[in-house]
Amino acid sequence: MKLLVRMAWRNIWRNKARSFVIMVSVALGIFAGLMVMALYKGMMRDRIKSLIYQETGHIQMHHASFKEDYEIRYAIPNLHYVNNLLMKNRNVKKFTFRSVCQAMLATTNGSAGIQINGIDPFQENECSELNKKIIDGKTLTNTKKFGLLIGQKLSKKMKIFVGDKVVLTFTDLQNEIVSAAFRVVGIVQTTNSAWEERNVYVRRNDLNQLFGAPGMAHEVAIILHSNDLIPIMMQQMNMQFPDILLEDWKLLSPETNLMVETVDITSYIIIGIILIALAFGIINTMLMSILERTREIGMMMALGMNQLKLFILVWLETLFLTLSGLPFGVIFAFLLSNFVEKYGITYGQGSEEMMRNFGFSGMIYTEFPYEKVGMIILFVISTAFISCLYPAIRALKLNPMEALRK
Amino acid sequence: MKAIIDAHQISKIYNKDTIPVYAINQVHLHIEKGEFTALVGPSGSGKTTLLNLIGGLDHTDSGSIEINGENITHMSAGALIDFRLRNIGFVFQSYNLIPVLTARENVEFIMQLQGLEKKDMEARVELLFAQIGLKDKMDSRPSQLSGGQQQRVAVARALASRPQFVLADEPTANLDSASANNLLDIMWKLNQEEQMTFIFSTHDQRVIDRAQRVITLVDGKIVSDTKQVPISHVE
Repeated sequence: MKLLVRMAWRNIWRNKARSFVIMVSVALGIFAGLMVMALYKGMMRDRIKSLIYQETGHIQMHHASFKEDYEIRYAIPNLHYVNNLLMKNRNVKKFTFRSVCQAMLATTNGSAGIQINGIDPFQENECSELNKKIIDGKTLTNTKKFGLLIGQKLSKKMKIFVGDKVVLTFTDLQNEIVSAAFRVVGIVQTTNSAWEERNVYVRRNDLNQLFGAPGMAHEVAIILHSNDLIPIMMQQMNMQFPDILLEDWKLLSPETNLMVETVDITSYIIIGIILIALAFGIINTMLMSILERTREIGMMMALGMNQLKLFILVWLETLFLTLSGLPFGVIFAFLLSNFVEKYGITYGQGSEEMMRNFGFSGMIYTEFPYEKVGMIILFVISTAFISCLYPAIRALKLNPMEALRK
Repeated sequence: MKAIIDAHQISKIYNKDTIPVYAINQVHLHIEKGEFTALVGPSGSGKTTLLNLIGGLDHTDSGSIEINGENITHMSAGALIDFRLRNIGFVFQSYNLIPVLTARENVEFIMQLQGLEKKDMEARVELLFAQIGLKDKMDSRPSQLSGGQQQRVAVARALASRPQFVLADEPTANLDSASANNLLDIMWKLNQEEQMTFIFSTHDQRVIDRAQRVITLVDGKIVSDTKQVPISHVE
């Protein structure tokens, strides 16, 4: 076996240029595949991060019937009890209460259907870093009553600026229509322009006052110390709050969850396509190598090399040829991925806005898929095995006597 | 004496469906251990075909071949590979060493295929290289050796598996006089000292002169089979 390994290794260097081309192809293929995975992983990490820390939190609590029609009467019961339990729970990092209602926003320029998020400014800033997203104006913490934060997309669409007054119309607890004027104190920019277009923030106290129900909240957004704590917390909270609707970010944003789940499949498909393309190159190279060595193979068979050993020799050659390019592909992908993880790359101005429509930031920060490297090596070894089959069969079919005449 | 090779009425026919050509025609051949035999004849007379049939590289169309009492006529390709490995040594006209292996590795190649222990292998390699006089070239690649040296390594390789006999197809055809004589000396010595059986196909008068037995083939038939006193032996 040792001699076969030695022969296989030396055989791949008989035609250096040809082997080099295949090795570079493998390296480039692996590099491309890993970079695609790194990009996807980085994008998904950022998307999940922005979803959790800017939109939903890890877990949200609602009244069991609230989400059916977003009726404000379905507020979370025993808010004080909820508050106490969450305060005591060591898995909970932060949480915030929100009053939520569907409303109509009107200005002199027109009107739009929106969701009003009544927030406690200090807690909200801690939970969703809302203060850091203000690109114009100020937060709700230092403003007078009936201040309002509006998303950049909505402000552009409705031509609303800081200092402008808008009228919000919604129904109160008695189902009476309420209209109130709010002054825009700040413009918020998030990584999700669709979110910006249909959400405004006011103080929860102001909104509750208009509802006629002080202290009410429809939503509790909870940030945990880690994503991994979600299942255990869901189980624990389901027992503590049996009548409350509990949803983690996957349920709150099924489209993001679907994206995360399909991204793995997509990257494997891309790697598969790359390897199929590579396989043809490898088959071609190995076939040429076998045809060039017809006489030598015939001689080895004449001397007594059996079919199994000949197959192993061809397979080892294919494997070495393929594996030689692999480390370079992995190393280059690792280096570039780390660079992009640190400095990021931008989509360019036009595309940035488009990506924000889907909830992605304008910058991509990659994340090297360490956990996939083993799988890729396995894929490459399998490709080498499949690619060697045809050349090996051609070699095994050689008649030693005829081969020796060539 | 016991026959190492016993071929009974063997024939090999090409173009059976159109105009049949008898490469070997009803040949009967009996070779005993320790013979130093030359197969001679004009080009196309069937020398190489006969060697291929005896060597288990080709199948006969009729007749049977027994090697050391074992009938190889109907052996499968796989069984023949194993049979060749255990029983037959080959020396080819154009050396056919494996270019990526050193001289030592080329000789070890056969023994590794046989699954020999490393210790036994090393001892045999040392002995063989001493016999062919190339101990100082053991770690050279074939491309670093002259034609004569390569053919000597090929002889060592053929003997590495301790075969029943060695088939040599025009072994001196590509060698200059000095190298050819040197190679023949080595093979003659092995024949004399170890009773190794050699069967050559050749046009080379130097080989014919050294042979104890000369079989002449014409159109696939043995037209003469004579024993002689080799010239080197006389000398």
